[in-house]
Amino acid sequence: MPDSSPPLSGLRIAVRASGVAAAYAARLLSTMGAEAILLEPAEGSPLRCEPPFLPGSEVSALFAYLAAGMRSAVVPDGGFGGLLSEADVFIDDTPLAEREALGLDEATVARRHPDLIHVSVLPFGAHGPKAHWKGTDITVLHASGEGYLLPNGLSCELFPGRPPVKVYGHFAELQGSIAAALGALSALWVRPEAGGQYVDVASQDAALAVGAFAIQRLGDGSVEHRVERSFRYGGVIPCADGYVELLTLEQRQWHGLVELLGKPDWSQDPALEDSLERSRQGPVINRHIREWASSRKVEDIVREGQKLSVPLAKYYTPAEVVRDPHEQVRGLFQPVETGAGVFDMLVSPFQFDGAPFALRGGPPALGDYTGGAAR
Amino acid sequence: MNPLPGIRIADFTVHNAGPFCTPLLSQLGAEVVKIESAMRPDAFRKPHPVYGRMGPATFDQVASTKLSVRINLKKPEGVALAKRVVAVSDVAAESFRPGVIGRLGLGYEDLKAVKRDIIMLAVSSSGQSGPDRHFAGYAPLFGAWGGLGEMTGYADGPPIEMRHVMDHTVGMNSAVAVMAALHRRRATGEGALVDVSAREVASSLLGEALLLAAAGEEPHRMGNAHPRMAPHGVYPAAGEDRWLSIAVDGEAERQALREITGSADLSDEALSVWTRTQDANAAAECLQAAGIAAHASWTTPEIAADPHLRERHAIVEVAEPDGKRRAAVGVPMRLSKGPEIGIHRGTPKLGEHEDYVYGELLGMGREERTALEEAEVIY
Repeated sequence: MPDSSPPLSGLRIAVRASGVAAAYAARLLSTMGAEAILLEPAEGSPLRCEPPFLPGSEVSALFAYLAAGMRSAVVPDGGFGGLLSEADVFIDDTPLAEREALGLDEATVARRHPDLIHVSVLPFGAHGPKAHWKGTDITVLHASGEGYLLPNGLSCELFPGRPPVKVYGHFAELQGSIAAALGALSALWVRPEAGGQYVDVASQDAALAVGAFAIQRLGDGSVEHRVERSFRYGGVIPCADGYVELLTLEQRQWHGLVELLGKPDWSQDPALEDSLERSRQGPVINRHIREWASSRKVEDIVREGQKLSVPLAKYYTPAEVVRDPHEQVRGLFQPVETGAGVFDMLVSPFQFDGAPFALRGGPPALGDYTGGAAR
Repeated sequence: MNPLPGIRIADFTVHNAGPFCTPLLSQLGAEVVKIESAMRPDAFRKPHPVYGRMGPATFDQVASTKLSVRINLKKPEGVALAKRVVAVSDVAAESFRPGVIGRLGLGYEDLKAVKRDIIMLAVSSSGQSGPDRHFAGYAPLFGAWGGLGEMTGYADGPPIEMRHVMDHTVGMNSAVAVMAALHRRRATGEGALVDVSAREVASSLLGEALLLAAAGEEPHRMGNAHPRMAPHGVYPAAGEDRWLSIAVDGEAERQALREITGSADLSDEALSVWTRTQDANAAAECLQAAGIAAHASWTTPEIAADPHLRERHAIVEVAEPDGKRRAAVGVPMRLSKGPEIGIHRGTPKLGEHEDYVYGELLGMGREERTALEEAEVIY
């Protein structure tokens, strides 16, 4: 039988986070069983004041999501030593210029806590000519490539003159989080041989990494641009009551699409059996698809299309995601006390051994951790 | 030292989401054996007309730093050979539609029979369970199902399709999950079935919006606006299709911006009047010097040439088989005791590493390999 304990049981994380990247890195590890202590100043992490807020309250929905399951220790500046001595991993987004005075610079932490995995998460990293640059999600996104490349497809057709538009929320910062979690677990893996070490993560690097395809295409001699990187056919398709996403990459999927469309005359052109020819005729094909979809409902198109193995998806609103029967079966959400009521909260985007993880609870009250060295 | 020496991964993943996981781990020191065949070569070895690539890729980011062997999984002998590779591996990774790997005879239970503590990573569009588990999907669909596509876009426009960043975010999450499973195996001796749902990865990127929805709110897309910061957006700079991203946080920064622009009006329209006269990179430096987050909206060539990214090894130079040099993306971290992490091998040729994998790791003789080649098992 597989062990049912969360995979990171026994691991202790200390996190000092004024931004999303460091906080979500700890959240990822915490959800998998690590004990995460949020080190906060007396007034609390700035994330507690970050909108959006849950209705009728001053509870930050962002903080609630990021800090769910953590404990909070109020720690005065310079008083981090005790909690760091108890931790396996320290995740920190303190600006570089402030670290030495707080005893949180790489050398001081390494000297005082030689077995600690010290993970620095900053917009542009802790090393390099821009290490001191200030960054937010939108500026990091534009420093790493994807910012310039959105929108594409239908939106780009409709609004060709508008500025690029960002991915919703904290996309680039969250890439820093995921990379930081990966770095922490990798450094921990080799800790028995190497001891503690410093992991330097930049949200810019991480957002660039997930946008690696643009760099790959550059090497092929092609510079990606939001106008040209639309799919030749498919993409965002307006329907009678919303939008679907359509993408057929394989021959059998094309055949399924033709069947879904009712095998119209234009689709029976033998030349369209060739995928390269379909690419060339993409705009014409898309006109036909859009015309067909414009009088049909999203649910009908997706249901019939998926039966034919045509990759089609409805553009779900957040409320639809939360209510989605598929996600209810999988346990993606768990009711937690947020301080503004008990609401369903996303737990984790992956599962072990066929079961979802469980959050320990909602966001911590300021200073609710009084154990160990924080006493 | 590399952090993951001695970790071996049998890599059955296809397309992008799964395959992006394993090269991250390989750049951290794991040995990744990519399993494919001439019958079903990886997508990068073929034209990709939907993306406008009319021939095979000469370099593939997600295949770099991997070893390549050929196995025809359509034959029982191929399945048996794949199990032998798994038996000497720590992790088996796959990204077929749920059920496919089991029908091939390589499901989790099958693999546990040959390696009791195997960690199996299964990446799919909707996960291994649930009513939609059979759904076919790619990156834009993950974003659509997960809510990220609906929430991204101009407030008065349609949703936006997520591209490879969505796939690769799934891959990086998968790498985190695999590492967690390895830690648990070290502690308990038990393997794991790691189920990564791409649409759930997309949802995890908007957790606060989902929480608002659960509380009865109706969050909606808002373009480049921010719920607190202002000005906040992307503004036209001097030159064609040049843009400057700016995020102003608090009154002190707003005052600094007024002094720089010489205008008390910080509306998007007024700020654009100033930015249109500015070189994007110079303006970003000026604003940064005043403590304001700003950055030019960089094109790919600008990113590839950036000294900061190169110094951090986020951008590295790799060589193609013909010796041509090109930029590639490194693993996004720097380790104080692992300076050697990163891409150390280019894209493998199909079956390039069979002498090592079949000969050294599995101890197969030339005669056995030849027989399997003639039977189109190693094919």
